[in-house]
Amino acid sequence: MVFPHHPARPDGASPSAKAAQELADRTQELTHRLARPTTADRDRRRQWDDTLLTALCDPTGPHLAGLLVPQSLGGAGLTATQTCHILDTLGEGSRDPGLGLALTVHTALATVPLRALGTTAQRERYLPRMASGEWLGALSLRQTQSTASPPTITARPAPERPGGWILHGRADLVALGPQAHHFLVIAEHDDTTRTAFVIDRDTPRLHVHSTDQAAMPTCPWATLQLDDCLVLPDAVLGTVRGAATETEPLLATLDWIFTSAPWLGIMRALTHDALAAAGTRTLFGTPLAHGQSTRFALADIATRGELAAGLLHHAAAQFDADGRPSRRDAAAARLFTVTAARAVTQDAARLIGPAAADGDHLVERAHRDALFFASTGGGTDVLHPVIAASLLGSGRP
Amino acid sequence: MNTHHTFPGIAARAARTDATGSIPPENWQDLKDSGYLRLFHPPHLGGTGADAATQVQAMEALARACSGTYWSATVSALLCAKLISTYGDERHHRLIRPLLTGDRLAAFAIVEPAAGSDPATYRTTVRPTGNGYTVNGEKSRITNAPNADLAVTLARRDKPADDTGPDWCLAFVDLNQPGVRRYDIPHMGLRGMPWGGIVYTDAHIDESDVIPLPFTELAEGMTWGWLLVSIAAVATAESALTASVRHARRRISFGRPLAHMEGVQAQLADSRTHIDAARLLAHRGAAERVAGASARDLIGMLKIYATEMSVQVTARAVQIHGATGVTQGHEVERHYRDAQMNVIGAFATNRLREQIAEHLGLGPAVYRPFDWLTPTGLTHDPVSLDGLTTG
Ligand SMILES: Cc1cc2nc3c(=O)[nH]c(=O)nc-3n(C[C@H](O)[C@H](O)[C@H](O)COP(=O)(O)OP(=O)(O)OC[C@H]3O[C@@H](n4cnc5c(N)ncnc54)[C@H](O)[C@@H]3O)c2cc1C
Repeated sequence: MVFPHHPARPDGASPSAKAAQELADRTQELTHRLARPTTADRDRRRQWDDTLLTALCDPTGPHLAGLLVPQSLGGAGLTATQTCHILDTLGEGSRDPGLGLALTVHTALATVPLRALGTTAQRERYLPRMASGEWLGALSLRQTQSTASPPTITARPAPERPGGWILHGRADLVALGPQAHHFLVIAEHDDTTRTAFVIDRDTPRLHVHSTDQAAMPTCPWATLQLDDCLVLPDAVLGTVRGAATETEPLLATLDWIFTSAPWLGIMRALTHDALAAAGTRTLFGTPLAHGQSTRFALADIATRGELAAGLLHHAAAQFDADGRPSRRDAAAARLFTVTAARAVTQDAARLIGPAAADGDHLVERAHRDALFFASTGGGTDVLHPVIAASLLGSGRP
Repeated sequence: MNTHHTFPGIAARAARTDATGSIPPENWQDLKDSGYLRLFHPPHLGGTGADAATQVQAMEALARACSGTYWSATVSALLCAKLISTYGDERHHRLIRPLLTGDRLAAFAIVEPAAGSDPATYRTTVRPTGNGYTVNGEKSRITNAPNADLAVTLARRDKPADDTGPDWCLAFVDLNQPGVRRYDIPHMGLRGMPWGGIVYTDAHIDESDVIPLPFTELAEGMTWGWLLVSIAAVATAESALTASVRHARRRISFGRPLAHMEGVQAQLADSRTHIDAARLLAHRGAAERVAGASARDLIGMLKIYATEMSVQVTARAVQIHGATGVTQGHEVERHYRDAQMNVIGAFATNRLREQIAEHLGLGPAVYRPFDWLTPTGLTHDPVSLDGLTTG
């Protein structure tokens, strides 16, 4: 028995539960068959594989690009909880944190703001093509924590185009940037208010520079440069100057919840590897599995996975219920998952031992990527005060 | 449900309950009136059959009001009554009903004066007499031992050679009889909770009240106990956090409330997160178990995490309170003492880790000989830089 209690399955009562489970099964099958065998190699070569993406996004396959797009717009129409479950499956099956992040950025972070705040025209233009994987959306992971980090892109009214805007600045850490068709960008006005924009890649004077990131090399990374780009009014997402209460809090919560979800699967994969190592490595003439430090560590690894899953699914479920999701619960879920991912990686590394000769070296990738994961979403410096504010009553609008 | 207002009288008496080391009769009256004792069982046993979420909420509410009262009441009405209903039959319904009305109190007696984690040290034995059975032995460190009316007692069976049944049994022993002596053990936390030993000397048990049982069933039955303890731990942690938030907002230091300190905020945020994680797992475990699944491993994991988490949260609470927190009679000083009790009670957490590890596929615990270092040579100090010099 490993993880007797797989994270809460999608709600059995919902009409789409069966469809969601089918997508999860297809994701598992396909990631095992196509992603996992090449993960170590793609990681070493920092390679993005378009054929793999096409297979994962195929609407008759796992449909990973369209999980959160309504069925009426060509998506799978899953709930947030079901989506978490599938991203978890993606992480476990592919054993590839970078691939998990790339798909999550498109499927959740770039898609949901358009779905929730887009005009009918924007929804009809973008969402069907995003759902099929034909168009990928990207954004800078620095723009998911409101203005905890200083804004780097400015907006000023376009002198000759009423309602148009001139955007200027740079944003780095754009996950999926080199592959993206369009970008979600938040820009600051003179008076520090901010507006969200969806900008197509072919916008004049917009430049996408591929970059190498030390961690998550299977996710393509870019820096976005805007040299006084003119954007038209139809690029505005939501209300002009309204990003602080619309797109920004949504992005924070989406980041905290959904980019954590593949790590549930990564943690489960690490547990499998650690269990296998405990059965095969010997120390003091007995299998590692006889030692209590091994046994206790594995009990704790398994427990952390269950706890993280519980918090993430609880936070995600708030998107599915009436009312507004809680940023505190999302932040707490992220804080716990980050801590768990690092602890599980550390324990797994100890059990698997130095320089394992075989296997796909997941523990080494996870070690590197868990540190990176821990610093995104603002890290503890942002998560702690967000959670504390809800207790202390500070920051009430 | 605003949990800590559910038992206002019991909460108001919590400090006194702790200071005097006994649960006041008014608490029992409040418990009877509230319907708490009936929540866990179906109507045909005299219960009200609440759903899992309601059960957990009510448990947390009572544990927040007074953890000692919670332990005593819940060991009897939930744990012991579940053991009787699970392993007994209709003849034992008479034993369950008074536990749910609050007219009688039960204890679950497993552990003896030697190492509690190791059942090989249990000696208590049940023997047939021709007219029922007698039980002999000493149970120790048992919740409700000093004042319970009934003890669900784990014992060895003294059985004839041709009896191929299990070696162990659960015996439902009436404690109000001459063959039973009890004693109190003063304890660090949960002071209101009655706790102590039971000495059986040829105590009588009716024939129908001895239920042979394979030992493996113990962990199954104890799962209700782990759930009970975990919820106590969550409640104690929540109370400690609430007190910490209150103090952090009021206490002025360096010209500002403590709450304005980033370091204090980080402690509060960690506590909030860890309590939420445990509570969600408790709800999930309870939902599965109330629906009829065993959920043994899930609730075992919960017991490990929740009880150790609660120790950390209460320690943070004491730190945030400064000297106020180590002042006798202050609320967080009580939570700090209570929290540690939950780590040990109902299987110490490291013992439980062994069980979880076994179920993860690592095989049963292996107890190797004490000295596994000598054969490796790691017990020798090295020679000096000049080799084997004398002196
Ligand atoms: C609040 C409270 C209420 C209680 N109520 C009851 C009750 O109602 N009924 C009842 O029968 N008992 C009760 N007990 C007793 C309790 O079950 C025992 O204290 C517990 O099982 C541990 O036994 P022990 O105290 O003898 O410790 P020991 O068994 O001596 O263990 C000491 C320490 O060694 C560790 N340890 C033990 N075995 C192992 C192992 N295999 N591997 C690694 N570490 C190990 C344990 O984690 C523990 O920390 C209660 C205890 C408390 C604190």
